[in-house]
Amino acid sequence: MLLTQFSPHSLSQGIYEEVLNWARIITPFALVFSTITLLQTHITRIRRQTEHWQYSFLVFAGIAIMVVVGIPFGPQNPVFEWLFNNVQLPMDATMFSLLAFFIASAAYRAFRARNLEASLLLITAVIVMLGNVPVGDLIWNKLISLTPWADTYPDGSSWMKQWILDNPNLSARRGIILGVSLGVISQSIRIILGIERSYLGGGD
Amino acid sequence: MTYNKTILYIVACTILFLYGTIAFSQESETSPPSNVTAMDTPNDDGSSITVTWDTVAEDSGIVGYKILRNTDAGEFEEIGEQLEANVSEYKDKDIIKGKEHAYIVRAITETEASVDSLQTGAVRATGQWFHSGKIQLFIAMIIFCGAILGSIYLSRNNQEVFVRRIPGLEAVDEAIGRATEMGRSILYVLGLGGVSGPATIASMTILGQVARRTADYETTLRVPCNDPIVLNVVREMVKASYLDEGRPDAYSEEDIFFLTDSQFAYAAGVDGMMLREKPAAIFLQGTFYAESLILAETGNSIGAIQIAGTDSEHQLPFLITACDYTLIGEELYAASAYLSKEPMQLGSLRGQDWGKVLIFLTIVFGVFLELIGVNWITTFLQRVS
Repeated sequence: MLLTQFSPHSLSQGIYEEVLNWARIITPFALVFSTITLLQTHITRIRRQTEHWQYSFLVFAGIAIMVVVGIPFGPQNPVFEWLFNNVQLPMDATMFSLLAFFIASAAYRAFRARNLEASLLLITAVIVMLGNVPVGDLIWNKLISLTPWADTYPDGSSWMKQWILDNPNLSARRGIILGVSLGVISQSIRIILGIERSYLGGGD
Repeated sequence: MTYNKTILYIVACTILFLYGTIAFSQESETSPPSNVTAMDTPNDDGSSITVTWDTVAEDSGIVGYKILRNTDAGEFEEIGEQLEANVSEYKDKDIIKGKEHAYIVRAITETEASVDSLQTGAVRATGQWFHSGKIQLFIAMIIFCGAILGSIYLSRNNQEVFVRRIPGLEAVDEAIGRATEMGRSILYVLGLGGVSGPATIASMTILGQVARRTADYETTLRVPCNDPIVLNVVREMVKASYLDEGRPDAYSEEDIFFLTDSQFAYAAGVDGMMLREKPAAIFLQGTFYAESLILAETGNSIGAIQIAGTDSEHQLPFLITACDYTLIGEELYAASAYLSKEPMQLGSLRGQDWGKVLIFLTIVFGVFLELIGVNWITTFLQRVS
């Protein structure tokens, strides 16, 4: 599989595709098995009447409705599409939008200037945040107009934000990516050689 | 009167002659496409032929090109759509493998007249066994793999390998102990990666170590999965860990279950578990996307000790902010070796470090060469396709 990445020949790519196809075949069987385990989990919850066990009926109802509508008529069925667009998508969007509030609470904790490092983080964050909104450049222009460099550094807020993202931020990210890449190579070799078997359950 | 008519006739003929001459001369100025060549497309599986020709100036009068390919009868027929005037390459992917093809490039002028190039030589497409554009990657792979294999080989003699302290992994016992003392469960989240994802595999190795300790301490370990195959592998893995510790009776299959494969539904489900069950320790190890902060902040809000680890560099700031300990990038992959202390695994970490040294030296060497105006190393690395 590794060598197929370096060989564009049809025979090599054929082997690669064949192996991928076999891997794909496993997924539907595993999905059926997983659905059974999901049902078992909720049946157990109802039987034991654990906390909020009533919600498990909603799981059964959801699965039943989507199966009844989806399997005979396919995913293009208007009812199926309506359920997807008006039930699942809004719920996903709701969860996603919660992120804004979580970011605010996390930022409040992270940006408290308790020491030098946290203060640097705070200053950097303020520059990047201001650089992302038009008011940032407005503030910068007002401030810089009071200095002799008014014409030299227009839109400085956006410029500084971009500089931070393109230089220190990108350098750190690339450092992490290089470390991750070497880690993946190392782990892959350990698995191929059978040195690492712990993900299979036994040994180390 | 007759004289005037004759003059008028001569003038009219002269104008017509001049107009025709100018029009003809403009037509004849459109030269046929030059340097037309057809070649087997490099680094492909032999399914295409690339035709190239010289670009022309904007005022050449050419508005586009059509490509003609020879037929079995020996004639040429147009293939594909008309190309823009600024195009100078066409990749014919509709060829018959093993058969020779010749091409003509037809230039189309503003007056919709056409000028044909000379016929190219016949070309047969063949598949390449090695992608020459990836030679840099291949060399890098050989060097890095060699460094890691060499280090593993050398570490067979149980040479002591120093590994710097990783606080996130040191805290694993602390987190499990805390959960045991508080009589609460441990929640282990493997992220959204599939079973073939390196981060998921790394996460499973940590889970194996965690499961051994929870088996010892009889602490409940809950693992909600979002991938069906991961679920099955994890069940077998945790079961084997409990068996290894001689506690098969403590293993509960119900605690490792499939939640959903939908990203935010999974986040909602795990958040719900956190708020209902209030686990004392939460492990967020694997591949995460936008749900990372939703999970980590909820875990933070219930006061659980959180140990995170991911190779998704975009999510690292969120996890570092919201979690007590975070394994950054490569630390996640070093976890198995770090926790097991097995010499050959530790040796592979040394190989990784040699790889890093090599990359560092290449960067320094490249910067030095650039400063003195030599850029072959930059060009060599930029050519990776």
